[in-house]
Amino acid sequence: MNAMNGSLAPPTITELPPTTRISLRTADPAAVASALGIKLPVKVGVRAAAGVRTALCLGPDEWLLEVPEAESAMLAAALADLAGRMPLSAVEISDREVTLALAGRAVLDLLATGCPRDLARMPVGSGARTLFDTAQVVLTREGEDRFHLTVRRSYAPHVRALLHIAVRELEIGL
Amino acid sequence: MTSCRVPNRGRVDRSKSVRFTYDGKTYHGLAGDTLASALLANGVHLMGRSFKYHRPRGVVSAGSDEPNALMGTSRGPGRFEPNTRATIQELRGGLEATSQNRWPSLAFDLGSVNDRLGSLFSAGFYYKTFMWPRAFWDRVYEPIIRNAAGLGVSPTEPDADRYASRFAHTDVLVIGAGPAGLAAALAAGRSGASVMIVDETTECGGSLLSEPSITIDGKPAWDWLAAATAELASLPNVTVKPRTTAIGYYHQNLVGLAQRLTDHLAAPPEGAPRERLWRVRAREVVLAQGALETPLVFDGNDRPGVMLAGAAQTYLHRYGVKVGDRPAIVTVHDSAWFAALDLAASGAKVAAIVDVRPTVDQALTNRARALGIETLLGHTVTGSSGRLRVKSLRVNRLENGRVGASRNLSCDAVLMCGGWTPSLHLFSHTKGSLCWDDKLQAFLPGKKTEAVHIAGAGRGLWGTAAALNDGATVGAQAARATGRQASAQTYTVSGDRIGSGVTVKELSTDRKPARAKAFIDFQNDVTAKDIRLAVREGMRSIEHVKRYTTNGMATDQGKMSNINGLMIASDALGKEPPQVGLTTFRPPYTPTTFGTFAGYHQGSTFELTRKTPIDPWAEAHGAAFEPVALWRRAWYFPKSGEDIHAAVGRECRATRASVGIFDASTLGKIEVVGPDAVTFMERMYINAWAKLGVGRCRYGLLLGEDGFIREDGVIGRLANDRFHVTTTTGGAALVLNVMEDYLQTEWPDLKVWLTSTTEQWAVIALQGPNARKLLEPFVEGLDISEAAFPHMSVATCKVAGFPARLFRVSFTGELGFEVNVAARRGRALWEKLWQAGQQYDICPYGTETMHVLRAEKGYIIVGQDTDGTLTPDDAGLSWAIGKAKPDFVGKRSLSRPDMVAKGRKQLVGLLTDDPKLVLQEGAQIVADPNVPKPMPMLGHVTSAYWSDAVGRSIALAVIADGRVRDGETLYIPMPDRTITARVVKNTVFYDPDGKRLSA
Amino acid sequence: MLLIRCPYCEQDLPELEFAYAGEAHIARPQDPSKLTDEEWRDYLFIRSNPRGHHFERWRHINGCARFFNAVRETVSDRFLLTYRAGEPRPDISGLTGGSE
Repeated sequence: MNAMNGSLAPPTITELPPTTRISLRTADPAAVASALGIKLPVKVGVRAAAGVRTALCLGPDEWLLEVPEAESAMLAAALADLAGRMPLSAVEISDREVTLALAGRAVLDLLATGCPRDLARMPVGSGARTLFDTAQVVLTREGEDRFHLTVRRSYAPHVRALLHIAVRELEIGL
Repeated sequence: MTSCRVPNRGRVDRSKSVRFTYDGKTYHGLAGDTLASALLANGVHLMGRSFKYHRPRGVVSAGSDEPNALMGTSRGPGRFEPNTRATIQELRGGLEATSQNRWPSLAFDLGSVNDRLGSLFSAGFYYKTFMWPRAFWDRVYEPIIRNAAGLGVSPTEPDADRYASRFAHTDVLVIGAGPAGLAAALAAGRSGASVMIVDETTECGGSLLSEPSITIDGKPAWDWLAAATAELASLPNVTVKPRTTAIGYYHQNLVGLAQRLTDHLAAPPEGAPRERLWRVRAREVVLAQGALETPLVFDGNDRPGVMLAGAAQTYLHRYGVKVGDRPAIVTVHDSAWFAALDLAASGAKVAAIVDVRPTVDQALTNRARALGIETLLGHTVTGSSGRLRVKSLRVNRLENGRVGASRNLSCDAVLMCGGWTPSLHLFSHTKGSLCWDDKLQAFLPGKKTEAVHIAGAGRGLWGTAAALNDGATVGAQAARATGRQASAQTYTVSGDRIGSGVTVKELSTDRKPARAKAFIDFQNDVTAKDIRLAVREGMRSIEHVKRYTTNGMATDQGKMSNINGLMIASDALGKEPPQVGLTTFRPPYTPTTFGTFAGYHQGSTFELTRKTPIDPWAEAHGAAFEPVALWRRAWYFPKSGEDIHAAVGRECRATRASVGIFDASTLGKIEVVGPDAVTFMERMYINAWAKLGVGRCRYGLLLGEDGFIREDGVIGRLANDRFHVTTTTGGAALVLNVMEDYLQTEWPDLKVWLTSTTEQWAVIALQGPNARKLLEPFVEGLDISEAAFPHMSVATCKVAGFPARLFRVSFTGELGFEVNVAARRGRALWEKLWQAGQQYDICPYGTETMHVLRAEKGYIIVGQDTDGTLTPDDAGLSWAIGKAKPDFVGKRSLSRPDMVAKGRKQLVGLLTDDPKLVLQEGAQIVADPNVPKPMPMLGHVTSAYWSDAVGRSIALAVIADGRVRDGETLYIPMPDRTITARVVKNTVFYDPDGKRLSA
Repeated sequence: MLLIRCPYCEQDLPELEFAYAGEAHIARPQDPSKLTDEEWRDYLFIRSNPRGHHFERWRHINGCARFFNAVRETVSDRFLLTYRAGEPRPDISGLTGGSE
């Protein structure tokens, strides 16, 4: 439910610093695991982590790999090596999107102003590609009251503006 | 003056006086009033004029079904609303209300002349009157009709309010918070299911608010209500939303709710939204919307002071307002008797209870007579008097079906009741069927199409006990359907007022029916005789009767008129009501503001606007912008005093003379990767890709399977298994979707994957003879000389220290490069190139110059020079086809007979005889301007510009058999003159040998 | 707004995440050059447009991005079934609940 009363502190919106992101596509996720040191989850929406590396399954043959920028070269080398041995596609998309961290008790209400999914049912640690208003976004649930919203760079100002309007609305509490 | 306020009644706060104005005059009401109850408390019944006849009208109802008391309300600039229902609008300090549809004043309205001419304005008046002559349709009739049409005045200023929207998901949604809805919400809520309960009024209670005298489980009704709402508020899984109207019921239990947030507040918080649209997905829906009271149809049933008996009850008990000192009651249902009894108990002198039925429950008649109320059973009403407030009622005895002698009853209000109709509008939205119940003389819910439960009066169960117990049962059922354990409690009610009644057509009269003004649809001024006339004139379907008479087409959408219209139409047709049926109910349930539907899409968030990383630089440098798809792009960069022509001329000259810099970041980009990448490209595009070397680029053309051009773009091969595809700005999503479609559904065996990289890269184009000189010092790890990096090359390197993909391409005909760097580096690289370019008089240019430069070279723009009906050959691009390929998307269509027939439109150049004249894009082209209209049209102008480089105007056009018309003179008729122009089959106007590309 | 079951995500999700993509089970001919003009016309343009059960394609474009197939009752606008692209046309004779 989206129970909300005026006494709650409104959610906060923070843009996160960039990380290295790779769109990884393959028909054989199992074969990738050993080379990358991370087991690719095969259920859409599930995210796996190995140290600082994470892999979020966005589609049946699509994973979003994310590592700190410092690890970028190491990951690129591993993927290049892998690509020589099996069919896959690894495309860097670090600059394609920006990520906003949304946190606060009313974060579900905040997202409900633009996202048609029932996010209350989304498990912590999972993710999904969906919509916020008319913008395609990737949402990951980082905690009960914390989400990351990743959106194409040129759509970000619109989404951010809407989120700020909604935060003000939650602040007023009507 | 608050003489109509009754002591010790109502839920209004007598300690809080609220000041408001109505037609400029100041009044005082109480906190908790609606605008209507406050006016009634002040003795004001006259609240509007009817739409067609401008008859004076008073408030009829106490709810959202109100047809008459519609007003303009305002709270300052940009905050005026027409047609506010006074019965719904809560009183707030400073509210300004004005009556509508009258001039010069509500009490004296010149438009009421229509009332005298009423016989002229019969059903179908517009259809019959405004037919001849045909020439009058546009210029005479339409303006007359438009001028008279519409209720209230449209606001003229932009809406200053904000609106909101929210998605919600719940196990159980209960619509209506009367006894049935409350009991349902309690039963479901106690089970732990998530519950949302909404009500369109300001507080929970529904009919209980008008019936304080009954007791529930030993508690007075209002004490029970307070306990029930407190319990709901205490349940964390339950949300209660008053002031929230369910406006539409859509597939799979999606319900639209319109929530009013600030209209009741004297001083809303800054930035607060006025209304919010909820889109609620419920696993189970409980409809507990109760029933609507039907008026009675008799001559003069619309005078101010004539209202529904149930409304009078509500005004008395909920607002403590006595609607008249001497009310007369006219009814066919027991419920109006209770109104008479309660008003008498509050000090009113009831004129009489007139009941059409010959016999009525003796308990009722005894109680009425005990209070000294005259009861007239087996009587009819045949007229009324009083212009701005009803003064008397003409009553006749019915004897064996005949109308007997009349007498006049003096009164100051008439309370009528024609029975009750279950409110099934939302149920009808779901295409649920309605079944006529002969005993109740009402439509009840039949077959369901959704997971919906109907409780209480909504399914013909009258009385509070029935509503509570049915609500509890249904609420528990709904909760169990969501997998919860739930049980229904039983409620005991004493003093319940369960009545019965009959349904009638218009009341019998001894007067000429043709002279009667017996209204069915008050707002649209539809009378009983209009319905009968429509049937006489051949309307058989109730949908036709509705449209011919406009019955039920007013803002209450027939809530008050449907049943009476049906009864009279079925009588006129000689059919039973279920054979005639009801018209279709459609969302929204009540009038809803545009703002509610717009939500956040207003002002700066009206529409998503995409901007490139370089956009802020363009803005800082005074660019004019144009929208391209969702992007805003720099259009041109005017210097002070320059108009678009001067600026574009300068930008074109500077680029061709030295170097121009252009933000091409919006170009669509798709990375095609995998061992089967080349096979995939061969199948998608018309071109041959197998022999394209790594590091080389090619112009690619994409067709639809129908053989027509869909998209184009330069494609670079980065590795054997990796292509960098570019698309047009607007076509990126379309191309990716088409590619994914083929890949996923036709060729799933191909080992290749597609990734959108449009926003990964910022793209800066350097074009002009000095482009290399400018770029070269910034490039690391790549020789960009003519020999090492010729036209149509691609490579990775570093530019200004940033990792880059460098393309040697040109959309201008000049030596050109496009530098792709990570989006976050785009602005920095642009600044560096801009600084270094000063020595070459570097010139930033926008999309308009880009268009001129490419047109000078005859490069097409898909979607401007093509329109979805051009083949590669039509566009002069058949050279691009990989001739040896057995197949590609669209290839088979290129040999269909129509695609190779003579007479196809072909892209050619067009040069006006007057070189200074620039054609209009879209202008039609003919062979002979002197033939009678409609002239055979050969084609149209697709692109036209002034070209500085060529020193004259240039144009591209698609013309039937264009290429064989080389040298022919054709004509472009314009409104003020006919322009002559010569066809040139070569579309390259500038540097036809392409020498400048390799400068 | 419908709820649509994505056969890849295995969830019922809001229609806003999906895009309609025309009739299903119209495979592109292996070798279009072998088709007569009439056969090619039929492939391009002729669709069944039934009143009743319609086999059609959807794409979970704002989700997992997969194309998939569905059977929808065109009178009631109800989905009877969704299934993955490439699976054969299912037998729906045993399915009920979609029709009015």
